Formats: sequence, C-alpha cells, structure tokens
Amino acid sequence: MNRTILSLLAITTLSWLGGCSNLGQVNAWDKGNLAKPMMTFEGDPLDQRFVQHIYASKENSSGGYGVGGGGCGCN
Amino acid sequence: MSRWRTLRFDFSAMASPCSLQMDGRDEHVMRRAANEAMAEVQRIEKKFSRYTEGSVISRINQSAGLAAIETDTETSGLLDFAHSLWTQSDGLFDITSGVLRHAWDFKNARLPEPATLQGLLPRVDWQQVERHGNQVRLKQPGMELDFGGFGKEYAADRAAAVLQSHDINHALVNLGGDLHALGERGLPELQGTPWQIEIQHPRQDTRQTDTPLALLTLARGGLATSGDYERFFIHEGQRYCHVLNPRTGWPVTHWQSVSVLAANTTTAGALSTIAMLKGPDAPAWLEAQGMRYLAVQHDGQVLRSNAATD
Amino acid sequence: MKKSNINGSQTATGVLLASLVLPGLAALAAITPLGAAAENAPEKTTIAIKYGHYNDSQPGWDRIKVDAAQVYVQAPIAGDWSIEASGVSDNVSGASPRWHTQNTALSGASHMSDERKAGDVKVTRYLARAAVSASVAISKEHDYTSNALGLDARWSTDDNNRTWTVGFGSASDTIDNTYSGGSTAINRHKSTNEFMGGVTQVLTPTDIVQFNLTRSLGSGYFNDPYKSYDQRPNQRDIWIALARWNHYLEKFDASLHSSYRNYSDTFGVQSHTLGLDWVQPAGRWTFTPGARYYSQSAANFYLDPILDAQGQYDQPAVVARANTNNLHGSNQSTDQRLAAFGAITLSMKVSYAFTPNTLADVKYESYRQTAALHLGGSGSPGLDPFNANFIQVGLTHRF
Repeated sequence: MNRTILSLLAITTLSWLGGCSNLGQVNAWDKGNLAKPMMTFEGDPLDQRFVQHIYASKENSSGGYGVGGGGCGCN
Repeated sequence: MSRWRTLRFDFSAMASPCSLQMDGRDEHVMRRAANEAMAEVQRIEKKFSRYTEGSVISRINQSAGLAAIETDTETSGLLDFAHSLWTQSDGLFDITSGVLRHAWDFKNARLPEPATLQGLLPRVDWQQVERHGNQVRLKQPGMELDFGGFGKEYAADRAAAVLQSHDINHALVNLGGDLHALGERGLPELQGTPWQIEIQHPRQDTRQTDTPLALLTLARGGLATSGDYERFFIHEGQRYCHVLNPRTGWPVTHWQSVSVLAANTTTAGALSTIAMLKGPDAPAWLEAQGMRYLAVQHDGQVLRSNAATD
Repeated sequence: MKKSNINGSQTATGVLLASLVLPGLAALAAITPLGAAAENAPEKTTIAIKYGHYNDSQPGWDRIKVDAAQVYVQAPIAGDWSIEASGVSDNVSGASPRWHTQNTALSGASHMSDERKAGDVKVTRYLARAAVSASVAISKEHDYTSNALGLDARWSTDDNNRTWTVGFGSASDTIDNTYSGGSTAINRHKSTNEFMGGVTQVLTPTDIVQFNLTRSLGSGYFNDPYKSYDQRPNQRDIWIALARWNHYLEKFDASLHSSYRNYSDTFGVQSHTLGLDWVQPAGRWTFTPGARYYSQSAANFYLDPILDAQGQYDQPAVVARANTNNLHGSNQSTDQRLAAFGAITLSMKVSYAFTPNTLADVKYESYRQTAALHLGGSGSPGLDPFNANFIQVGLTHRF
C-alpha cells in the first residue's frame, strides 16, 4: 500500500516536471533563484536540533536527516 | 552609523546608458565614491576616444605615417593588452580595424563600395604599429587605432577600482551592459546574496515573451556581452552588424550574441568580442581559455559553457 | 587551460593573465568570478544562540516542561577547513506516566527533574568539489550517557547540479538510573550504527530535490526503565527514506519546502512524516508558516489498555496481563510513544535581519497528537490526546 502511494507520488511529480526538457541540466547562467538563502535545505542549524529532539522523545521515529548525533534518554 | 540603503547613479557615457548601484550605510561616502567613479569613466572616455580632439588616440591617429607619439603607462599597458589579444586571437582582434568605419555607413544603412573597402584593408594591420618603450607610431598614413573593443569594459573595471579604494564593498557597475560586481549585496534583507543579473535576449525586440535569456548571480567579477544588435542595419533581409572581420572587412554572422563571465570586465569584453570574430570556433576557444560563456547562434540556438560552474 | 592548485583556486592564463598586468587593474585582484557561494569553506565565522521552551499537557494535568539553551559556532580554519561546535543545556521537569497515560491518576507518575548537557564538535575539510567531515558528540543526563561519532563525505558533479553524500555514525549509550533511586536499569548499554546515502539534485532553475536513505542497526537495552513492566527487544533495525523538495515561486519571490519521510523498524513501527514550509521574505523580515503531519503504527509489542464492562480502565487486568507476559519473557510496553497515533504541528517562524550578518528569529509551534489523527482514522484505543507548545528565540551573527 505504501509502495503504491510512493509510486503514484513519484509518477505525478515526474509527469509534472516532465514538461520541462533538460531536467537536471541547469546551467550556472540560470541559477539566479537557486542561490537565494531560502532555497537551501540546511537553514538554521539550531532550529531543527531542538525540534527533532522533541519529536524523538514524543514519537517513535527519529533520524533520516544526517548521521553522527548522539542519543538521549528523553522520557 | 545610519540605516542600510541602496543608491543608484544613472549617467550616460561612451554612447551608452550607465549606472552604479551600491549598498551601504554612509551616504556621504557612497556619493563621493560614485562621483569619483563616474569622473573616472569620463576621463577614460575622453582620453581614449577617437572622436575627441586632443585625446591620446586622436593624437596617435593624426600622427600616422609621421612621428612617434609619447604615451603614458596606462596607454602603454593597454597597447600591450591589445597586442596580447591580437596574438591570442590569431590576428582576428586587431585594434587597427577601426578604420573600416569609413566604408560602412550604419546610420544610413548603406553597404560599402567594394573599391573603398579594398582600399582600406591594407591599413588594417597591427604589425604595422611600431612601439618602442612608451612611444607608438602608426607606420602608414591613414591608419587608425580604436580602443572600442575593450574601452568600455576597461572603464567598468576602473570604476570598480575607484569604488574599492573608497572601501565600497557592495556595488555593481553597469556601463551599457558591461558589468563589474564588487562584492555581494549589502542590504540586510538580502543576507549576502549576490547581485541578480538578467541577460537580455539578442532578439528581444522581436520576441513575444520577455523572459530574459539568462538569470545569473554575480558577487565578484566581470560580465560582458558582444552582440550583433548593438549597431546594425538590415538590408534585403540580411543583417549587417558593427563587428567586422579585419581580414575581409565584412561583419561577422555566426553569433547573435556572446556573453562571457571572467574575473574582470576587461577580460570578459575582450573574450566576447574575440568570440564573435571567431565564429564557430568560439566555444572551443573559450573553453581553452577556461571561461564561462553563453552564446546565441545565428539560428537562435543557445550554447553554454561546460566549464565548472559556481 | 584553467588549472587548479590544491587550494582550489585557479591560475590565470591567456587573456585573463594579460588583463591582470594592466596597471589600472592591479587593485582588482580576483582570479575567478564568484557567483553563488558553493560548497566551499565558509568565509565568515557564525555564532548563534537559541533559547527554547517546551511544555506539554494531557487532559487534566501538565506533564513535562523543558527549557533549553543552545549555542552554535562555525568558523573557517586555514582556508580549507572549518570547525563547528554546539552545546545545549536542557532542564526537564515534570511527570511521566508509569502505565498508560490516562491511568496516571490511579497509578501515579514518576516525577522528575533532570538536566541534560550535550555538546558536539565537527571538523570539515574542503576539497575541489567535495568535503569530508568527522564529528564527535557527547550527551549526559543523570541516568543516561551517549557518546557518538560520525563521518560523512559529499562530492558534486562538475556542473554542480548533483551532490552525493555518504555518512556513517556510531553511538554508544549507557543507561543507569541508580542515581534517581531506581534499580530497573543498572549499567545497561545500547549501541547503534547508522549508514546513510543521499543525493541532492538541481532539477530546474527553480527546483532542487534531495533523497536520503538511512539504515540503522541498534542492539542493547531499549526498555524504558521508568515504565512498569516495560520489556522491549534487544535489537532494533531501522530503514528511513527521506525525500525533500524546494520550489521557488517567482510570483511571490518565496519558496515552498516539502518533505516526506518514511520510517520502519523491527519493533513493528512504521511512520510517515509530511512537512510543508512556505518561506516568504518581505524586506528585512522573513515569515515561514509551516505544517507537519505525522502518523505511526503501533509497535508489535505495544499493548492497548484493557477496559472493564463499564468501559473504565481495568488496572487489575492490565497488571495481570503484564505479569503473565513477564513470566513468559514476552516483550511488552504500555508506552504511548509506541502506540498508533497521528500528530499535527502548526508552526510560524519570523526572522528579522538587522544587518546582512545579524539575524534574530522567533518560532512558535503547536503540536497535537491523538489516535484519531492516525492515517486511516483508527489509532490505538484509549489514548488521551496530547498537546504541546514549543517556542524558540534565537540570534545569529556572522563576522
């Protein structure tokens, strides 16, 4: 069931983007908007640490964003 | 210290609309720097113009076939640069080719008389420019030097150098489309992002859409564009532009425009002009120079450099 | 040909070299033009501090309050290196239920007040189109210590449109609650190894996406020593898949960030996390409203509450079941965190730039967790809704 959802999501996304040719071949001359701070994935380094720490103690899923952080005994 | 602000100074120079834009907090300092930069542009225009009486170029041209003229370090340096460009372009970039304007009448859209053009070609020959130290002499009467191929771009770099000497760290110099970026944006809300630059399509006037050809960011360096749309006329469906091949006397036809990104505008301008002259060999030559470029071919096809980007 | 020396800068050749010799251009010393800053060592040092406050509640009583102070520093070193360090000091106080949460009134809760101090250091070496990092992290609470190390590397294609990342992390935890007067966990250990691979791809001039796959293998003590009769497997293996997409909208000069994370582990928990943020700059301000939806299935050893004929919580039955399981050595837990539920977070972050290098921000989030929000509608029965608020205030400065 999850796999079906993921496949449908992938197909929808790809067909939406499929209208654009040269997918993935963006030249430096066209990267004006991608360079803006609001387009990075990293963002505020402390914001996510606090939030992910909270979610790790209230839910059972943590991680997926990077490696190397230690654990805690939050309860 | 007062608030951050952006100031823009629009002026006219070298027959083009020009502007200086800078982000800063001390308006007094910014205005003083801008005035000096604009004065520097005017100085270069006067000194190296073919049309101004008493300019260095005029004096050299008027002495063609006669005595040598003593020049200063700045002029000497630019003549060395011109020589370097002549060598690196296999003789296509030749600052003695300005004399061909006597055959081409762009204002009245008239093709040259074959005899006139033939008569002028022997006077297009960089190797007939004699140089000893700071002295320069054009061997044949009627020869002319023309700094038009890099003059505006050199002025853009010099304007940037003047701003830099006033500790201006967030500025964009724009002389008729030849740009020099001196540091990223300074306004707090822009958080250190580079200057956003739109490169216009060479056939903008005949297009339906107005989306730019390219959207580039620039924090430091020069951007120059050579195109067949700056000065041209169309005769019987054929376009004749102002970039002339020094060997044939006829305009180049392969590229609608070539934009080059380089560490300074002088380099970018020289490269874009040479690229126009080199025709189909331009991409390979620009790659060999290690420069990033964007070129629109005569048929509208857009080519971009493969060189590593950011 | 353009050449690169080991420092990543280029030697000038050809026309560029000729231009640099011009007397008038001596002051402009740049060799290469600079567009958007890429994967290079940072040019500036960054310091950030943040204060966070969290409190949660369930019908009838407040549970946990957390106050956290965080500091972060990132500095370039010697041109090709950078060091990052961060520290956090948490103060946690409140109560945590021993059995199912809605039964706390009867069975009581363990009140506690604890402090957690954690710090980490990361060193990165930058190469031509790549970077390698090594990190160490330590976290200490009175009953829990965690030591972790991490290694990761990333490298980009020539056109900078694709970046690959790989990472490895290893954590070694020790749980010992003799300090707090407990005896349920004496010098127990847990170790986790994590492997991650990912790719970031520029798709169009307005779209960039990222895919990450993480595999975590953990073994050791997973029980919650503060919950009665909590017995969990001594191994937990996890798969996590994450997809993120940033889209730029020209019309608003804003960006839309979407993310989806799929998690599944050998405890039987599967979860989906969907995140959406709209980043809207407006002059010196930036407004970021956001929403998050989370849904998890119950662990396969999670036990629902038992209700009697009147529909009331049947404590004796629950205890009896626990004892039986205990005798058989079966895994079991009544920890709400292992139940099936869904949760929604609504957030708003506002930041203000005093100068290009000084930024202040405030973020408020409101979290609600209930069984009814579970994807498909039916979460675990008998779960009390759970609400939490958290707020963060921060200041960042670069120089």
